[in-house]
Amino acid sequence: MDDDAVRLAGLTRRYGPVRAVDALDLIIPPGSTVALLGPNGAGKTTTLEILLGLLPADAGTAAVFGREPAEAVRAGRVGAMLQHAGFVPGATVGDLVGLARALHARPLDTDRILDLAGLTELAARRADRLSGGEAQRVRFAFALAGEPDLLVLDEPTTALDVDARRTFWAAIRRYADDGHTVLFSTHQLHEADEYADRVVVLAAGRVVADGPPARIRALAGARTVAFDLAGGPVDGLAELPAVRSVEVRGERVVLTTTDADATVLALATGRGFRGLEVAAPGLEAAFLALTSTGTES
Amino acid sequence: MRAYLRFELRRLVRDPRLTMFTVLGPVVTYLIFSPLAGDDRLSGLDAATALMVGLAGYGAVAGALTVAGSVAQERASGWLRQLRVTPLPPGRVLAAKALTSMLSGVPAVVAVGLTGVLQHHVTLSAGRWAALVALLWVGTAPFALLGLAIGYGLAPHLAQPAVFLAFLTLSVLGGLLVPVAYFPDALRDLAHALPTYRFAELGWRTVDGRAPSPVGLTVLLAWTVAFAGLATGAYRRSTGRR
Repeated sequence: MDDDAVRLAGLTRRYGPVRAVDALDLIIPPGSTVALLGPNGAGKTTTLEILLGLLPADAGTAAVFGREPAEAVRAGRVGAMLQHAGFVPGATVGDLVGLARALHARPLDTDRILDLAGLTELAARRADRLSGGEAQRVRFAFALAGEPDLLVLDEPTTALDVDARRTFWAAIRRYADDGHTVLFSTHQLHEADEYADRVVVLAAGRVVADGPPARIRALAGARTVAFDLAGGPVDGLAELPAVRSVEVRGERVVLTTTDADATVLALATGRGFRGLEVAAPGLEAAFLALTSTGTES
Repeated sequence: MRAYLRFELRRLVRDPRLTMFTVLGPVVTYLIFSPLAGDDRLSGLDAATALMVGLAGYGAVAGALTVAGSVAQERASGWLRQLRVTPLPPGRVLAAKALTSMLSGVPAVVAVGLTGVLQHHVTLSAGRWAALVALLWVGTAPFALLGLAIGYGLAPHLAQPAVFLAFLTLSVLGGLLVPVAYFPDALRDLAHALPTYRFAELGWRTVDGRAPSPVGLTVLLAWTVAFAGLATGAYRRSTGRR
């Protein structure tokens, strides 16, 4: 039990009638790099805020290294890079790194922190006068200064340009390679795919897919094939090649498939249809369709 | 806590504009108005000394209130949330902020004191100077707490005018700008119930070689407790988040 970096069980958080996080279960063993992937509003930030002790859960439990989240934070085992975390005027990058180090029992060396975050040249600059990307790197430095066992990053690359992203992820990877646990959220599949060794997909506050990046990528490649039945039978649609789910909306049928070519080919040879449409449903819809209970098999 | 306090103090030193305002205001006011009082006796003191203490207190209250009120910005910017994901307990953040706010009143006290010495040759023993600065530092506690209550309780665009209004009302009615000796009776009674008057009274009595009055201390303490309650309540509500 104590070995899990993160253990969420039945976690629920409501905002009014909306369930931002809905009975979420998640266990993250130490040493892994996990991506929380999902569109805006999927519950990523809420989940992270609960496991950082910033937000109470309405139901369920959250434990970080076997403790209450706030307790784990107090013990210095967690470092976090939050969205929209600003810096106060009048402090330099060096001041901030110095403060973050002083708040932890066994911090990393200042030079190492500045180097990891790519801030060596900026140490004397005032943090409130940095560009968006530079400020993001300061947030990163602030989060890792105490060498936390768990590093939590909420949408860490949103303010970064392409080059800065590459440098940033290289730094994260180096940190993860030293045996630390990293949990980051993103709404970009390719980021999750490239930098995590496990991807957890959230939609509407629930885990809809969880696995190694390759599998998630394959799932995300799903297409929908929609057409009018034109009097044809519904039976057997689920048995068509590569079809994962079947949805009938009156006359119209929507198939979710992992290989649209094969599915359409089989449709064309086996039965008739009208008004065929093939579409990429987007990440969220694809995962929802693939995991919804409406799947016939 | 000590590291955070150091961090806050370094910030204060690095951005002296805020302090400049709280220093310049009372110094300039003193330079202009102290000659006008002439030979009046105020609170049992010569006018130059009495006004010096009043305006030193005015500057100290300004410093404590504005710096404490600036937590509104820190909250809005997300900085306080960032601090909450460090091992630093939130109560310590509050305490360090209160201490820094109280310290930001000191430069004004020293500056107005120096002006009094240079302009009117106010003479006090070293011990009385030390006691004056110390009391006008410790006595800012209720104002620092009021500033924190406003800063935690209101959004930045409301906190700023609220701080200003509280400051102006309390300092004018408390007799820091115009001594209560010039007040009508009813207003003077009101002044006696205000923390600003009782705060300056600490100074007036000190330069006169008298110990703080029990009534004055009681009034000041009551306001401190009330503002501490407000600050804690506002702080709790602000971290509860929605």
